[in-house]
Amino acid sequence: MGEVKLFFGPNHPGMHGNFSVHMYVEGDIVKRARPLPGFLHRGFEKLMERRYWLSNLALIPRICVPEPDINEACYAMGIEKIAKLDVPERAQWIRMIVLELARMANHLSAIGGVGGPIGLYTASHWGTADRDRILDIFEALTGARVYHMYIIPGGVRKNMTPQIEEMIWKVMDYIESRLDDYENLIFKNRILHSRLKGRLVLTREQALEMGVTGVGIRATGVEYDIRKVDPYLFYDKVEFEVPTATDADAFSRVYLKFKELSQSIKIIRQALEKMPQSDKVNVPISKGSALRHVVPKGMAYAHIESARGEFGFFVVSDGKNKPYRVAVRGASYPQGLYGIEKYLPGTRIEDVALWLATMDVCAPEIDR
Amino acid sequence: MTNSMSKAVEVLKSFNPFVEEIDDREIKISLSNDKVISALDVLKSIGFSHLSLITCVDWIDDNQFELVYILFNWEDGGKILVSTRIDRSNPKFITVKELWPVARFYEREIHEFFGIEFEGNDDMRPLFLELWDEKPPMRKDFDPSKYSKEKFPDRKYEKDVIKEAKIFRGEING
Repeated sequence: MGEVKLFFGPNHPGMHGNFSVHMYVEGDIVKRARPLPGFLHRGFEKLMERRYWLSNLALIPRICVPEPDINEACYAMGIEKIAKLDVPERAQWIRMIVLELARMANHLSAIGGVGGPIGLYTASHWGTADRDRILDIFEALTGARVYHMYIIPGGVRKNMTPQIEEMIWKVMDYIESRLDDYENLIFKNRILHSRLKGRLVLTREQALEMGVTGVGIRATGVEYDIRKVDPYLFYDKVEFEVPTATDADAFSRVYLKFKELSQSIKIIRQALEKMPQSDKVNVPISKGSALRHVVPKGMAYAHIESARGEFGFFVVSDGKNKPYRVAVRGASYPQGLYGIEKYLPGTRIEDVALWLATMDVCAPEIDR
Repeated sequence: MTNSMSKAVEVLKSFNPFVEEIDDREIKISLSNDKVISALDVLKSIGFSHLSLITCVDWIDDNQFELVYILFNWEDGGKILVSTRIDRSNPKFITVKELWPVARFYEREIHEFFGIEFEGNDDMRPLFLELWDEKPPMRKDFDPSKYSKEKFPDRKYEKDVIKEAKIFRGEING
């Protein structure tokens, strides 16, 4: 049988964002695969150099669509490192709550996203519906559902009111009450098991060699989580576990995301309890009006554990009112480019979408 | 500084590094060109095995590019920014794809956006840009607004919309 070239994407229901893979197949088996990013390249890094420090806030959430808050957080933490700013305590707790809510929203849509390629559409509907409850919180807190522009260098934009805290408690209770249903209907489902169990195995050695982070590495039994290893904000002051699995297959990667939901709920509850009452939630990064803010000379790399792994911003300042250089470390860069080329050969055609979904390949953060 | 970081500084002493502390768990080590690859090799073997990012900064006033390798230690959370400066007029460096295979793509990206050649990495096809015919776009002397004005000139609308609207409202006679 001859080799046939097939195209995956740039538009494909199994993929969030536009990403293309050229597959050379024989029968159903992929022989070679070539990733073709670039469909969502918008030149963010160049655009950032041409805008003021604070104007960039309107731009950077767009780098990663499903989880935009991590961009703001990394950017803000990078600037705070260079300027040696002390962020008010309440702002740091609020940031933690926002980041965990974003992680939950991303995991819920990822569980839904796995439902698409395998044909279990209940997962898609449930994931999307429950994610919407979290987006409601974001709407109340920040005024926007998807791109919040809420975490700013020096703190957060507005204080969290008691009503919103009440709302978060309620939504957390609701999502926790749904978890058993998720487990029974989705994760004990035979469709999911037969499509995901034992498929797309990425061993520990391969993951470490490739530099995969997030659930990709934790599914191999390693407890690598930046929140634990290199704690930022107040992650060292809350108790939570890092769920791991040993099968290293597609199923355990999705199941870990589900397991992390309950850990995020735990973190949010602790943060709401421990958060001090205060009106001060931000400090200016320098004197003067917001558009004239300057950041002292220096460079810093700030990274956080996003829902997809290590996400980081490398920020360079030359002491002026615009960034000199900003580089983004997309969490799915290794598995989205090198991983596709190296580990897709040998799999079946229908598993290509599963690789992209379970390894959380996010096209906008690769292309930037 | 974490234990692994002080150990790294200790081990790298013979390389004449310039060490700056950014915060408790992050330092920047500047090295001369010829020592970077062996320093990265040493750092990888003492625990800084995770390559977070390879990136580049264009210091146009000094006529230099600064290459930055960000390494992370999964054991105690130490971060090391290994930095070196290369000549901007003849930008060339050596690949690290033997140490970290994923570096191939970071280098390909830097080649595309800054125009730096990496010896030993022969896969330098364009990654993100399509049919690019200008100088590498992340260089400081590339002006995107000038480029887009030349490439995509403003269109002139022939129709006089305001006049048409006035005729429509009956304010003037067509």
